[in-house]
Amino acid sequence: MTAPAHSPPAPSAQENDAPLPVKRMVVNLGPSHPAMHGVTRAVVELEGETIRAMKLDIGFLHRGFEKSCETVTWGQCFPYTDRLNYVSSIMNNVGFALAVEKLCRLEVPERARYLRVVTSELHRICDHLTLVGAMAMELGAGTVFFFAIEGRDLIWDRLTELCGARLTSNYARIGGVSRDLPEGWADKTLRTLDRVAELCEEIHGLLTRNRIFLDRTRGTGRVPRQDAIELGFTGPCLRASGEAYDVRKAFPYLVYDRLDFDIPVGANGDNFDRYLMRMEEMRQSDRIVRQCFQQMQPGEIIVQDFRYALPPKPLVYGTIEGVMAHFKLVMEGIKVPAGEAYSYTEAANGELGFYLVSDGGGRPYKLGLRAPGWPMLAALPFMTKDALLADLIPTFDSINMIGGEVEQ
Amino acid sequence: MAEDNKPQAAPPPKPAGPPPPPPPKNPGLVTATIDGREVVAKPGTSVIEAARSLGITIPYYCYHKRLSVAANCRMCLVEMSNAPMGKLMPACQMPLAEGVVVKTDTPRVKDQQRATLEFLLLSHPVDCAICDQAGECKLQDYYQTYDAQPSRLDIPKVKKAKRVWLGPLVTLDQERCILCTRCVRFMREVAKEPQLGVAERGTDSFIETFPGQPLDSKYAGNVVDICPVGALTSTDFRFRGRVWFMSSARSICTGCSRGCNTFLDYLSDTSYRYRPRENDAVNQEWMCDDGRLSYKPLNRDRVLSARVGRSQGEKAGEVVPRQAAVARAAQLLSEQARAGRLALLLSPSVSLEDALVTLAVAREGLSLVEAYLGGRPDGWQDQFLKRADENPNRRGLELAAQGMGLTLRPFADLLEAVGAGEVRALWAVGTELPSEGEAVRLAGLTVVAQATNDGPLARAAEVLLPASPHAESDGTFVNFEGRAQRFEMAYFPRGDSRPHWSLAGELGRALGVSQLHASAREAFAALGPRLGAALGDFRWDSLPSVGKRPGLVPLAAGTVDGRLPGYRERVPSEGSEDQRRALARLPQGGRP
Amino acid sequence: MSKAVIAALLERFPDAVTDAYEGVGGDDCAFVAKERIVEVCRHLREVERFDLAPYITAVDYLGMEPRFEVVYNLVSIPRSARVRLRVKVPEGDGCSVPSVTGVWRGADWFERYCYDMYGIRFSGHPDLRRLFMYDEFVGHPLRKDYPLRGRQPLVPERQVDENLRGPGPATRD
Repeated sequence: MTAPAHSPPAPSAQENDAPLPVKRMVVNLGPSHPAMHGVTRAVVELEGETIRAMKLDIGFLHRGFEKSCETVTWGQCFPYTDRLNYVSSIMNNVGFALAVEKLCRLEVPERARYLRVVTSELHRICDHLTLVGAMAMELGAGTVFFFAIEGRDLIWDRLTELCGARLTSNYARIGGVSRDLPEGWADKTLRTLDRVAELCEEIHGLLTRNRIFLDRTRGTGRVPRQDAIELGFTGPCLRASGEAYDVRKAFPYLVYDRLDFDIPVGANGDNFDRYLMRMEEMRQSDRIVRQCFQQMQPGEIIVQDFRYALPPKPLVYGTIEGVMAHFKLVMEGIKVPAGEAYSYTEAANGELGFYLVSDGGGRPYKLGLRAPGWPMLAALPFMTKDALLADLIPTFDSINMIGGEVEQ
Repeated sequence: MAEDNKPQAAPPPKPAGPPPPPPPKNPGLVTATIDGREVVAKPGTSVIEAARSLGITIPYYCYHKRLSVAANCRMCLVEMSNAPMGKLMPACQMPLAEGVVVKTDTPRVKDQQRATLEFLLLSHPVDCAICDQAGECKLQDYYQTYDAQPSRLDIPKVKKAKRVWLGPLVTLDQERCILCTRCVRFMREVAKEPQLGVAERGTDSFIETFPGQPLDSKYAGNVVDICPVGALTSTDFRFRGRVWFMSSARSICTGCSRGCNTFLDYLSDTSYRYRPRENDAVNQEWMCDDGRLSYKPLNRDRVLSARVGRSQGEKAGEVVPRQAAVARAAQLLSEQARAGRLALLLSPSVSLEDALVTLAVAREGLSLVEAYLGGRPDGWQDQFLKRADENPNRRGLELAAQGMGLTLRPFADLLEAVGAGEVRALWAVGTELPSEGEAVRLAGLTVVAQATNDGPLARAAEVLLPASPHAESDGTFVNFEGRAQRFEMAYFPRGDSRPHWSLAGELGRALGVSQLHASAREAFAALGPRLGAALGDFRWDSLPSVGKRPGLVPLAAGTVDGRLPGYRERVPSEGSEDQRRALARLPQGGRP
Repeated sequence: MSKAVIAALLERFPDAVTDAYEGVGGDDCAFVAKERIVEVCRHLREVERFDLAPYITAVDYLGMEPRFEVVYNLVSIPRSARVRLRVKVPEGDGCSVPSVTGVWRGADWFERYCYDMYGIRFSGHPDLRRLFMYDEFVGHPLRKDYPLRGRQPLVPERQVDENLRGPGPATRD
């Protein structure tokens, strides 16, 4: 039986695969887009659904962090650092305090070091929970978001009890930390960590073998190890690409050399590996916090030196020595010896660095911030080149760009 | 061998006494070592001064380079190799000796500094929060630098009188006093009126005036400046503001023709005080009390808006925009000048730039060839700083008139001309009059006045233009010796006021003369050359930056605005700062 | 560890690497001549295995000569070592440094940042334009002579067809 003469011939396989002649289309993703958390504008040049070129337009959240810090005293910089990575503000506090202490050659009491590790690691869990929750939500899994946010808020409750603020927690001080643990706080925190671990298991169950999640994250946004290093990746994104580099292990600071924890390393450097990296790091942070509570001894929480730390309030109100030290520290600032130093810590998204220059006065002469998310965001066009537009979303999520720190 | 047994010759007798001093390394000078660095100084130089020349700071309270040495605060003790029995020696008192090794940072010295501060603070009240000296207090500075230890005192502090009226300008808080006796020595040696002394002994001692003789010297205000702590406070400035919020402008005192160099401390657009600024050639670092209080007219009784129409009784003239008043004034002036009935009255309290622009406009726009000198009447004088002539710029005015080719005539001539009916109208730049009573005789004239402050002549004016005093403009005063001294703008002109050079420029524009300058600097650049070599090697941009505020240190070199730590941004009283800055730059005050 | 690196650098580039010193906290630092920075960096990366350039920034030492300084913080992951290189940059026409983007691709945004904030140009940078500030912005905000409260006029809205901002090619970023 032959085909009717009036019907056209069936298209050949070659013809079927031939791409439609499409015009390249420029699409603006952001600056305010539901799937772009943070205020980043990505200008994407599409061929069909494939990203052929991409440009990032950042700076919408630029608020002159460095300029502001150069005009206030060293101690007054702390509230600005809270607002860098606002999901894990204590880590920024600690990073800045360590930088100033490096310049002052200041030894911090041991208990303060443990407290800094505890709060930093709690905030690392917060940060990772936020990332996993947001990533899942933007891929359509709303439940995971609620699990993650529950865990995050539980930890934030603990940190609120510790330092009075839920989001912009301000805990570290030059020379130590602002206050000691409230009574019963350690046990409460351990119970919180148990609950957070449960929630993580739930998230794990929902996502790690989820077909949709796997399809959208595995093999997308892939960064080979060599590229990751060349592009300046640090933190979980670098480790997901297979390079076991962690400042906590390579250049231990605080008490990390006394703690037993592992550095997870990925194999493929794709979005799924970056997700797994976060899940595992939360477990390791949990371990660190538990060890700290066991090792910690009572003691001073801040250096007893009026040149750096504010005197206790009874001394301020009752003695001339205290009131003078208080006045000088508040009005004039800590006298940091003239010099320059670069101090680096492992924040949730990578190396958080402060390059400080002091002229010996009460204010920073230069405060340079090395934001952890910076190189990853810069590499986004590379990561999404020739990928589908839909892959941009998990990739953007998994690098965890935080506008507060990247755009200063 | 045999030689060994030979009895040895008797050794030469040892010279009696210490060995002769080695010859000086630098003849005529003394060479010594301070902290491992060699210093060469003139004989008689104290260790503290020699160390300062090397950039080594030795702390002190009682030492003052313009006063005699008391060496009673014990803060400057250092190790010296020639000290008897290895004691610590006061660096302010010990002259540098040949070959001496001085150490200022050994543990012993540091321990001594800490101990001294602990003693000084033993009975010091917990007053920083209410003390006017906080922020520029040497106790605070040195405590933070050299001590920083908590108190060990567990007995009550010694109580003394908190507010002792010493004289019209000085109030003493005896508890805060550390008895450095700087004030006593100042009154004796500089003011030459020994009105202060130390009474009682030990912890009971305090600074006191003599019975029936208050601290009423005309230079008493300086003891407030040299007091290193908050004991002697200015009754005028007490409790009026916190110094760390204030900014300082380098200014010139307008109280007399000496032109003492000052800092004008201000906050927002209010002046709070004058402090003397160091200038060895003019005022060393002192100023008289009358000059110290001469900042008050900068705030008080100011003319801040233009008025047209004569004030009658309580009823003032009509407030109009400055542009309208300028147009009216120009019309009046040109009418009267054409009729040959106009006189220019110039006050010697306006700056050189004001005078130059005014005279240029008078010459070119109104064809005037002479100007009359107004100004405040003479006051008291002495052999130290105060001059009888209470106008800061009489010499500058003479130079400017000479340069612009106008004749300056005394005020008496103006009264004569008015009496003879030759002058019917007056353009008064600055409304200070040699005697207030004469305003009545000028009241019958048609007056265009540019006034900073309210006064009889300002009230008699047909057109009143608001002028800015020296705090609100840059400029130059020439003192009685012919020394040109720059002052800088502290804050932008208040209200609708503008500096005289700007007002005269606006009038000039209405009269068809192009003397409208964007700044005092430009005005000087345009008209200054007409002065010839009268100002010597004066350069307009050469404001010395010496004598920074003690206490809270300004930002280190490299910072442009030089603001102090803790300084808050000024809150302008009207419009944004940018707007006011733009207005200050535009003499016409209108939209660009 | 990194002492040896600095020593080797001093030996290898006696005229380019100068004034090596140990900074606060034992950091190993050296000054590098501006023209030779790429050469030194390439040597560091290829021979000394400094594979990561985590932070490049600049400082404005107003009033000093030369005025600017570009600071390179480098890490060797395999050797667990860090060095800091400082390059002095004069003001004016010479305010330009050879770009190290050819050595570490990650240096791209750091150099753009230095250009944006300090006005230091990087010769050989593939796409040198502002990073945080908008193109119409006048001046460089982190310079010490830029006022803290310097306000600039609002810029007119851009045309829709100008949505790919800046002078750089659209294919790069």
